[in-house]
Amino acid sequence: MARVKKIMLTDEPTLKKEAKAGEAAGLLLKSQHGCVVVVDNGFPVGIVTELDILKNMSLKGNALKRTVDKIMSYPVATMSSSTSLEEALKIIDEKKFRKYPVVENNKFVGIVTKKDIVQTVSKNIRFHRSLQDFVLILFVLF
Amino acid sequence: MVKVKNIMTSNVVTIGQNANLVDAAKLLLSKSVRNLVITEDSKPIGIIGERDVIDGIMAKKAKVKNIMTKDFAVTSPNVNFFEIAKVFKEGKTRKFIVVDGQKLNGIVTEMDIINSMRDFTKFHQIMQEVILAIFGLATAFFLFYFSPLGASIFGRA
Repeated sequence: MARVKKIMLTDEPTLKKEAKAGEAAGLLLKSQHGCVVVVDNGFPVGIVTELDILKNMSLKGNALKRTVDKIMSYPVATMSSSTSLEEALKIIDEKKFRKYPVVENNKFVGIVTKKDIVQTVSKNIRFHRSLQDFVLILFVLF
Repeated sequence: MVKVKNIMTSNVVTIGQNANLVDAAKLLLSKSVRNLVITEDSKPIGIIGERDVIDGIMAKKAKVKNIMTKDFAVTSPNVNFFEIAKVFKEGKTRKFIVVDGQKLNGIVTEMDIINSMRDFTKFHQIMQEVILAIFGLATAFFLFYFSPLGASIFGRA
């Protein structure tokens, strides 16, 4: 069975809690997936999304100087790298987020997105269905 | 067959091209949407996403018209779901403006496709269970029919 480890994205940018919002915005614009994970001692404690940056920018005051722990979304829903894709789908249906930090031995190792999970599962299911149909046809013929 | 109009977002939030970017940011937040369409006489002339707004504010640009995407992808309400899914998969664009004639009708993003794909997988999973159940029942009946007990019930000699 496929696991989260297989489809997670590694080399994702992270920031410490004390980093500035401006830094987060810069990283976010460079990253492909529109989120930056905030880590404390290697463990993901929050996530900064485009929405958080926008919220911050619409507030009064010097938006770029605020620290990321003031603007991040938390708590985050994490997944383990050994979580199966079926379990991952359940977590997605429940939490309704788009991005989930992946943790291995209490350390942040990557991000898994709703898009990748849904696409992979749908591909797997299509394969299973055709296999099943094939067996069914064989059975009927027999 | 599933069409674009079945999965698109039809309540599109629009903004004028002379609005400033902080107002655009506030509009995105208050309406909880990720994209704004810029219209002129109810005709779409551009689109901006949250990322464009952040980018624009960071680059000290002031107005929506300075950052809006003018060469957006367009589709119509009766286009097939799979055609759109294919374009997204190729990674050419992440959103389409849906127009009926010239008029703005809705917007369809990669997330709409992903969400309906999720519904399809649920449907497929249920179908899979049903097929397996029928398969199992048929086999059980088959075995029972030819057993001595089944023979007496069904009146075979």
